[in-house]
Amino acid sequence: MEERAKLSVEAEQSDKATILVVIGRVDGSSVGILESAVQEQINAGHKTLIFDFKDLSYISSAGLRALLIAARLTQKEGGKALFCALAEHIAEIFEISGFNEILDIRSTRADAFGAL
Amino acid sequence: MGKSPTHVLVVDDEEDLELLVRQKFRRRIREGDLKFLFAHNGKEALEVLDENPEVYLVLSDINMPVMDGLTMLGQLADSEQDVQAVIVSAYGDMKNIRTAMNRGAFDFLTKPIDFNDLEVTIEKGIKHVQALQIALDTRDRLVAVKQELEMAREVQMSLQPKELPANDNYDVKAAIISAKEVGGDLYDFFFIDESRLGLVIADVSGKGVPAALFTTVTRALLRAAVSRDYSTPSDCLMLVNNLLCESNTSCIFITLFFGVLDLRTGELSYSNAGHNPPRVLTTDSKVEVVPKTNNLVLGIQPGHAYHNKQVQLMPGDTLFLYTDGITEAEDSKSEEFTESRLDEKLAGLANTSSERVATEIVDAVQEFVGDAPQSDDITCMAARFLAPLTVSS
Repeated sequence: MEERAKLSVEAEQSDKATILVVIGRVDGSSVGILESAVQEQINAGHKTLIFDFKDLSYISSAGLRALLIAARLTQKEGGKALFCALAEHIAEIFEISGFNEILDIRSTRADAFGAL
Repeated sequence: MGKSPTHVLVVDDEEDLELLVRQKFRRRIREGDLKFLFAHNGKEALEVLDENPEVYLVLSDINMPVMDGLTMLGQLADSEQDVQAVIVSAYGDMKNIRTAMNRGAFDFLTKPIDFNDLEVTIEKGIKHVQALQIALDTRDRLVAVKQELEMAREVQMSLQPKELPANDNYDVKAAIISAKEVGGDLYDFFFIDESRLGLVIADVSGKGVPAALFTTVTRALLRAAVSRDYSTPSDCLMLVNNLLCESNTSCIFITLFFGVLDLRTGELSYSNAGHNPPRVLTTDSKVEVVPKTNNLVLGIQPGHAYHNKQVQLMPGDTLFLYTDGITEAEDSKSEEFTESRLDEKLAGLANTSSERVATEIVDAVQEFVGDAPQSDDITCMAARFLAPLTVSS
């Protein structure tokens, strides 16, 4: 079966945080890629993560669960997870599920850095 | 645990093969690694195999009295025994070798037998047999798991609410198509008292068995919460949420809409825990989104305060509840069904029965998806308010 690479996660390191640029679709079949990217940063001792969602096209409930786990993992390590640059239809998914109430969502990457 | 020896049957009417094997493999025989059995013609070999089902590998000559090697191979192929055969033939006897291979022989050796070749061939045969055995065991286990899943599916189906009897006041119909044997979607309907009908639709993050377990627990908790001391939908959700949070360390969550339709007035009181907003389909073909209550999914934040809202249904209006398996169903070009297609389809179904609404929506989604694989559970429920119920006090 033909399988496009529908999700990739690129990590950029800065002084204050690791930025994870999430590109493509996060759903049940691709969520593992996001989970391992997060785990890799935590294992490397990077406990402050900024998720840049400007190129995120879709996120399913399995994806939301992965974000929740990321937020809890970073918190446990004494860090935090922030989420920025959500497209309108992604912001709506966060709103319907109520995740905008429990995750730290910022409009731009600069805003996310400002909140550290 | 001691490893049991691999049993190999050697079939030859002359002594030389037996002697060669006994001598060359004596160390491995002594160590209990290999065990050889011997027969002197095809008929005897079949009898030995019959009595020794632990033999998986046969090394056989072709020309023998009573029954030759090729005839024996043919009979082995027809029997149900999982035996791999290595045939021994004269050098250059391609015709017999071809026949043996066509009758299912695994490999062949030529005379005079080279000991190294014999050892390599037996090793290869043993490895092949072991790999087959593992594959067979795995298949058996898969079959068992599949049977259990089928049973789980039956249990899950049996937990779904029974049809409500036809009547003048309301009409409820649901449809569910699971992507796997057991699903992570849930619908439910039940009477809270003689005039109030509870309507539930929910979707667990993830699919398959973990999701199915979570839906089953949620259904039971919500039914228990309602029967204990019903006051409002949000009160029930708060209780269910706290109970789910207590024992949920894996961050699985569930989106759930719980509405209570008062059949005396047509008023729907509801609380929505992160679920896609349902629709109200009016008699004049308008499709209205049921306003959000801005509440979090269930199962991840204990103490979360859930809220209630109300909408008014007029006689003939239909409340339509669905999971994202409908709006996010994809066709072969990865195009989604979307809310706008849903709303458009719904608008054409005003003033029809709940059964027709549920069936036509599911049909429309399936037609849209076409041959693309179903990736998520597809669930919807239509609840039509027909006429106010008069309750004698």
